[in-house]
Amino acid sequence: MSAAMMIASSIAAEDPSQSHHWLWPEGYEILYGGLASLIVFALLYWKAWPLVKRGLANRTERVQKELDDASTARTENEAESARIRQALGDIDAERQRLFAEADTQAEALLADGRRRLDAEVADLEAKAQADIAAAGDRSNDELRHEIVQLAGAAADRVAVESLDDATQQELIESFISRVGAGARP
Amino acid sequence: MSDNRIDGYARAMFEVARAEGTLDEVEDELFRFARSFESNDDLRNALTDEQIPVERRQGIVEDLLGPNATPTTVQLVSMVVGTGRGRDLPAIVDSLVQRASSAKDLEVAEVRSAVALTDDQQDRLKAALANATGKQLNLKVIVDPSVLGGLVATVGDTVIDGSVRTRIDQLKSRL
Repeated sequence: MSAAMMIASSIAAEDPSQSHHWLWPEGYEILYGGLASLIVFALLYWKAWPLVKRGLANRTERVQKELDDASTARTENEAESARIRQALGDIDAERQRLFAEADTQAEALLADGRRRLDAEVADLEAKAQADIAAAGDRSNDELRHEIVQLAGAAADRVAVESLDDATQQELIESFISRVGAGARP
Repeated sequence: MSDNRIDGYARAMFEVARAEGTLDEVEDELFRFARSFESNDDLRNALTDEQIPVERRQGIVEDLLGPNATPTTVQLVSMVVGTGRGRDLPAIVDSLVQRASSAKDLEVAEVRSAVALTDDQQDRLKAALANATGKQLNLKVIVDPSVLGGLVATVGDTVIDGSVRTRIDQLKSRL
C-alpha cells in the first residue's frame, strides 16, 4: 500500500464520520471511487469508445471525402480552367482570323473602290475631253458659219457697191458675147 | 387652181388679145405685170386679200396699169382679180405666154437682169440665145435686182446663169 493510502487510512481511523483531511477522502471512498471509476472507464471504453472511434473514423472518412471532393473539384476546375483558357485562346485566334479576314476584305474593297474610281475618273476625263472637243468643233463650226455669213454679206456689199452702170453693161455684154459664141458664161 | 382652169383662163385671154390685134403687147405687159406681182408682197397681198372688196382691188389694177398698159391688158387683169383668181395670175400669164409663143412657133426665153436691157441688147441677146439653143425665141426680160449683176437666161429646161448672185453663192458654198 502506498504512503498516501496509509495516510488517508490513518486519518479516517481517527474519526469515521469525519474526513481526516480537508482535501482527501477516506480510504474506502478512494477504493470504491477508484473501482467505480475503473468501471466507468471500462464501460466507457467498452461502449463509448467504439462510438467515438467510429465517429472519428466517420469524421476522418468525411474529411477525406471532402478532401477527395475538393481534389476532384480542383481537378475539374483546373480542367474547366484549361478549357476556358483554350476557348479563350480559340477566341483570340478567331478574333485574329476575323480581323485578318476583315483586313483582307477591306483591302479588297479599297482596291476595288480605287479601281472603280480610277475607271470613273478615266471615263469622266474621256467624256470631258469629248465634250471639250465637241465644244471646240461646235465653236469652230459656229465661227466658220459666222465667217461665211460675214464674208457673204461683205461680198454682197462689195458687189453691190462695185457694180456701177459700166460694170453692169460690161457683164451683160460679156454674157451676150459668150452665149453667142456658144460658150456658157 | 387646177391646170385645166389655168389653161382655160389663159386660152380665153389669148383669144381676146389676138382678137383685139394686140397679142404681142398684151403678152408682154401681162408678163411684166406677173413678174411684178410675184416679187412685190404688198401688191400680191392687196390683189389676193378677200377682205378687200373686188371693186377696190380692180381699182388698184387700173391705177397701176392704166397709164402704162393697153386697155385690153388692164381689163384682162381686172377680170382675173375680179373672179378671185389673183393668186393664180402668174401661172395664167405664163400659160398665156407659152400659148402665144407656140402659136408663133417660138420658145419662151426668160431672162433676168439686174438692170433694164436696151432694145439693141435684147436683140443681140435673143440672137445669141437662138444660136446657142437652136430655137426661135420669144424673149422675155425681167428686171430682178436680186440678180445683182449679169444675166440669167432660162429656155425650157436649160438655164444659162451668168449672174453675180450665183457667183457669190458659189463663193459662199466654197467657204
